Amino acid sequence: MQDYKETFKEVLQAILPICIVILLLQVFLLGASVTEVLEFIFGAAMVVVGIALFLIGVKIGLLPMGEAIGAEMPKSGSLLIIVAVAFFFGFLTTVAEPDVRVLTMMIDSVSGGGIAQTPTILVIAVGVGFFVATAILRIIYRVPIMYLLAAGYGGVILLSFITPPEFLPIAFDAGGVTTGPITVPFILALGVGVTSVLGGRSALSDGFGLIGLASIGPILGVMLMGVVTAL
Amino acid sequence: MNEFSPLEGIGHVVLDVILALAPLVLFFIAYQVISLRLPRAYVTGLFKGIVITLIGMVLFFQGVAIAFIPAGQSIGAYFGSSDYVWALVPFGFFLGFLTTYAEPAVRVLCYQIEQSSSGYIRGSLILYTLSFGVAVSVGLGMARIIYGFSFLPLMIAGYILAILLIRFADRDFVAIAFDSGGVATGPMAVTFLMSLAVGVAASMEGRNAVTEGFGLIAFIALAPILSVLVLGILFKHKKGGKT
Repeated sequence: MQDYKETFKEVLQAILPICIVILLLQVFLLGASVTEVLEFIFGAAMVVVGIALFLIGVKIGLLPMGEAIGAEMPKSGSLLIIVAVAFFFGFLTTVAEPDVRVLTMMIDSVSGGGIAQTPTILVIAVGVGFFVATAILRIIYRVPIMYLLAAGYGGVILLSFITPPEFLPIAFDAGGVTTGPITVPFILALGVGVTSVLGGRSALSDGFGLIGLASIGPILGVMLMGVVTAL
Repeated sequence: MNEFSPLEGIGHVVLDVILALAPLVLFFIAYQVISLRLPRAYVTGLFKGIVITLIGMVLFFQGVAIAFIPAGQSIGAYFGSSDYVWALVPFGFFLGFLTTYAEPAVRVLCYQIEQSSSGYIRGSLILYTLSFGVAVSVGLGMARIIYGFSFLPLMIAGYILAILLIRFADRDFVAIAFDSGGVATGPMAVTFLMSLAVGVAASMEGRNAVTEGFGLIAFIALAPILSVLVLGILFKHKKGGKT
């Protein structure tokens, strides 16, 4: 119960200030109706309870699942299995990530369905999965992280010249939302699992970079989607 | 739309959330059956967590859809079609500062940095640096929409700046910097600030809501990276001065 209280307090602390600003603007600037104000207060309360339950649920449900798989997976000793599991970790956590859903929903509605939600989520998820798998291979083969970051961002810059302009901001936004509360702990658990079994590599410095690399995938993925759409 | 109907369309949201979580859970079940074989009671506990996650996500999505997205869009539209649209730049700056300053994940990062600099850099300094960094990002993001700066050069400049700063920053800080990109892109940034930006872009003449409305999160994600790298340079100098 202590955990619940603490989490609720933290979420409320993060969200309350901006809610007050929004309410003031709604009342004094927009002259919102009572119904609109009520809906906002009710919705904001749902968001606070929702985020708190979500965080608690992730901690006692998804996170131990991720850790169990992360610790078990390298024991198989098969490189193919390790890389496949890494890909699925990246892919499946991104599909479940709330922020990714909110972003793609907004894109869908603003573009009038032109950039539909489900394909966009799948493209972002494949991008994350691909780069998590690459990052795991990097740890195993000891490729310096700078090479991968340089190659990734080099690719981003090159692709940006042929990407239709309406896909550019969306692509970079997609890179920003993948580092959410489900993906980050899952991917870190995976990194720790792999480095601990390999031995001789430090979990801290080798585990680092997984998140940074993971956010390149969606940028490239959405850019490619734009290029393909424009063909 | 004038009726108070906070639960409208929630059935669709429930289905959507189940579809989002199902693949991950099925993957775990497959692993459990094939090789994990965790005790039954333990697995039951995990599934309780999944149910709580599911309820939380449903409340979150529904709440965002009835509260933050409409509020963001109407406030954005109000400013966008008014004569003082420039006011969005200081307003964005203020909101960016406020959301970051209040975010618990940011406090955790500050503590982490204070620890790895063995107390040389105080937590409060980090908190202000980060909040200021995000504030500048949101202000700049708003200015981009209002004055129509093009997106890509700003983005590339940001990343080039990050790469340059890496060379001068302490190594531990570089690690923290790149993993901290996500701390400021929390739920408030993604829901409220993004809808605000979309509302502005949709209501201003000659702006395209898709091209100009998005991109703000990308700016916000850069802010912690650059801020932490700057602190890393500061730390290297302080450390160098003492020894």
